[in-house]
Amino acid sequence: MSDDRTTADEAETGPDADPVTGTETEARDRSTDPEPDRATAGGLAIREPPVVLLPLAVLDGETVSESLVEFLAPTKEVLLAYHELPEQTPTEQASLQFEERAREAIEDLADAFRDAGSDPETRVVFTHGRQQTIDRVAGEVGATAVLLPNPTGDIDEVLVPIREPIDDDRLADLVTTLIEGENDRVTLWGLTAEGDDFDPARAVERAAEELRERGVDSATVTTETSVTPTPVRDIVERSADADVIVMREGTGSVVSVLLGDDAERIATGAVAPVLVLRDRTPSEAEPDDSSTDADASGSVHSSKE
Amino acid sequence: MTASGEETVETDEATITDDAELERTLGLTGGLAIGIGTMIGAGIFVFPGIAAGRAGPAAAVSFGLGAIIALLVALPASELATAMPKSGGGYYFISRALGALSGAIVGISIWLGLVFATAFYLVGFGNYAAAVLAEAGVDVAGVPVVVPLALLFGVFLTALNLFGTENAAALQNYVVGLLLTILVIFLGYGGLDALGVFGRASTPETFAPFGATPVFTTAALVFTSYLGFAQVATVAGDIKRPGRNLPLAMIASVVLVGVLYVATIFVATSAFGSAALASFGETAIVEVARNFGGRAGAIAILIAGLLATVSSANASILSTSRAVFAVSKDALVPGIAGRVNLRYGTPHVALSMAGGPVLVLVALGEVEVLAEVASFLHLVMYSLMCVALFAMRRDEPEWYDPAFRVPAYPLVAGLGAVSSAGLILFMQPTSQIIGIAIMLASAGWYKYYADDVQLKGVL
Repeated sequence: MSDDRTTADEAETGPDADPVTGTETEARDRSTDPEPDRATAGGLAIREPPVVLLPLAVLDGETVSESLVEFLAPTKEVLLAYHELPEQTPTEQASLQFEERAREAIEDLADAFRDAGSDPETRVVFTHGRQQTIDRVAGEVGATAVLLPNPTGDIDEVLVPIREPIDDDRLADLVTTLIEGENDRVTLWGLTAEGDDFDPARAVERAAEELRERGVDSATVTTETSVTPTPVRDIVERSADADVIVMREGTGSVVSVLLGDDAERIATGAVAPVLVLRDRTPSEAEPDDSSTDADASGSVHSSKE
Repeated sequence: MTASGEETVETDEATITDDAELERTLGLTGGLAIGIGTMIGAGIFVFPGIAAGRAGPAAAVSFGLGAIIALLVALPASELATAMPKSGGGYYFISRALGALSGAIVGISIWLGLVFATAFYLVGFGNYAAAVLAEAGVDVAGVPVVVPLALLFGVFLTALNLFGTENAAALQNYVVGLLLTILVIFLGYGGLDALGVFGRASTPETFAPFGATPVFTTAALVFTSYLGFAQVATVAGDIKRPGRNLPLAMIASVVLVGVLYVATIFVATSAFGSAALASFGETAIVEVARNFGGRAGAIAILIAGLLATVSSANASILSTSRAVFAVSKDALVPGIAGRVNLRYGTPHVALSMAGGPVLVLVALGEVEVLAEVASFLHLVMYSLMCVALFAMRRDEPEWYDPAFRVPAYPLVAGLGAVSSAGLILFMQPTSQIIGIAIMLASAGWYKYYADDVQLKGVL
C-alpha cells in the first residue's frame, strides 16, 4: 500500500489529464466518454465547475450505486472515506489498524469513477466527529454540494425542493453539469407553509430562468409550487418518484444539516440520494475564484503538504 | 516532523499523514474538562479529613505545595506536548528524549500508576455511594458496602467504555460544569463564614500542630489530587489548535484546581477542628457542608462527590487505555494490546488491561497506599519529563518546534525535576517499595521482551 493518494495525483498530472481549468477537463472527459449523450451536454454554460463531496462510512460498508457514479461523473468528486470512533478510541489507534481497508474501499470506488470518465480526489479521515470532518473537508475543497447517499436506480428525475431563497448560480452550475441525458428531467418545486414570507413561485421562476440562460432546454424543466404544513414529509413521500434530490442546506452550517436537520431527515426517510447544496462561506467567497479552479484540478491535496 | 518516519503534517484541525487524516475534535473546553475532571475528585472529596488529621490546618500548605510542583511540571509538559502533539503524552516525550529503556519503564509503570489511581478514585466513589445510602436511610446492617459498591461501579465503567459508543465527552463537560458550580457556591459561602461574615467566629487552631514534616508527607499523599493535568497531553492528538489549547488547558486546570483545594482545606478546618475533621474520614467534607447548609448542603456535596469520583475514575480508565496503546504501538508490549474492535470501535484489549487490574486493587481497599503508589509512579514520570525537556533543548532536533516555550526553562524544569523526585521521599515505605518494585519489573520486562526495539525519532 504505497501512497495511493499520489496515484490519484499522478493520474491528474499524467499524460491523459489536462492540468488546466476544470471546465476544459470536463469537456475532455465528455469527448472521450463512450456514451454519446454525454457529448451533447458540452455546450451548456457552467460558471464554476461543481465539486461534490461524498462522505462515506466505508468501513461500515457504505458506498454509492453504479448509477449514481455515472450520474455524478461529470462533476469533480471528492471521495471522503471517514470512520467515526467513540471518544475512548484514539484516532491514531484506529488508523493503524483500519487505514489500509478504508483506503482500499475508497480506491475501489474511485476506480469506478475513473471508469466513468471522472477523476476523483480521495481522502481517508479518522474522526470523533463526523459532522466536523465533513464540514472541514467541504470547506477545504470548496464543495458545491455534499451527497447523502441512498440507493437509486437509473437517474432521470431530479427533484429540487426549494423552501428558502437559494443560490441560483450554484444550483444552476450543479444541475447543468449533472443533467445531460435525453430523458433527464428537472422539477423545481417551491414549498411554503401558510403565512410564510417566502414566495415559492418567484424563487422557482428565478431558478428556472437561470437554467434556461445556461442553455438547458426548457422542456426538461418543470416548475410547481405547494402550500403545505409538513414540507419535510411531503418531500420524503415524493422522493419515490424522484431519482435524486437536490436541496439547499438549512440555515446554519453543513454541520447542523447533517446532524439531523431537514436534509438529513429527508435523506433518512427518502428513497433517493440527496445532494445538499452548500452555501458559500465568507472565507470561500473572496479568494476562491482562483482556488476553486485549483481545487478542480486537484491541487488542494498537494498544497497541504 | 520526522519522528514517525513518514511525512506528517500537524495542522490546527487535523494530523495529516501520508495515508490518512486524523481529525482533531476536542476544543479548549474539552481539554479543560479532561484536566479538571480527572483532578478535582480527590482533593476535596477524599483527602480533607485525612490530610487535616495529619498536618492540621497546614494541610492547606500541603495542597499549595502540590499545586506548585504540578505547575512546575505542567510548564515543561506543555512545551513537549506542543512540540509532539501525539497520543501517548509523557511516555512519548521520555522515550523520544531519553531512549527506549527509560521510555519502557515510564510507559509500563504509568499504565500501572493509572490503574492505582483509578482504583483509588473508585474506592472514593464507594465511600460516597455508601454515604448516600446512609443518608437515604438504607440499613446495610453493618455489612461493609464501600468495596462492593466500588467494584460494581468499576465493572460498570469498564463495560461502558467497552461497549458505549455514545458521545461521552459532552457529558463529561456537563459533569465538570455542574461540579464546579456546586463547589464555588459551597466554598464561597464557607469562605465568607470562616472569615466571620455570618457572625459565627470560627475556632482558631494552631496552624501546624504537628510541625513541618507532616506538611511534606501530607503533600506527598495528597499529590494524587493533581494527577490529571498531564492526561491532557495524552489526548494531544485530539486537541484542536494544540499550540494554544494544550498549554492553556494544562496550566489553567492546575491553577483552578489548586485554588479550590487550598480553599477547601481552609473552609473545612475553619468549620471543624482538625481532629474532628479527621474522625469523619473520607467523607469529611459532607459534614462540613451539613454544618453550613444542613441536610440540603450535605446532599448537594454528596452528589458532587459522586460526580467527581466518577469523572476522575472514568477519565483515568481512558488514560490507562491510551497509555497501553502508546507502548503497544512502539512494540514494547505485544501488539494485540492496541487492537481496536471494529464492531464497537473501542480498544477492547487496552480497556480490559485497565479495568481488570483496577478491580483487584479496589478489592484491597487501601486508600492511602493506592493514592501514594499512583503518585509515586506519576512523579517519576513528571520528573523524567522535566529531564526530557533538558535533553530536547540541549540539542534541539530539526523538527523540534514547540508553539509554547517554557520561560527560564533551566530553572523551571530543574525545580520541577527535583521537587517531583523529592516528594517521593516523603511517602510511606510501603508505597515506596511497591513503586520501586513496579519500576524494576517494568525494566525487567523491557530486557526480556523488548531489548531489541528501535524507536523511531529518538534523539
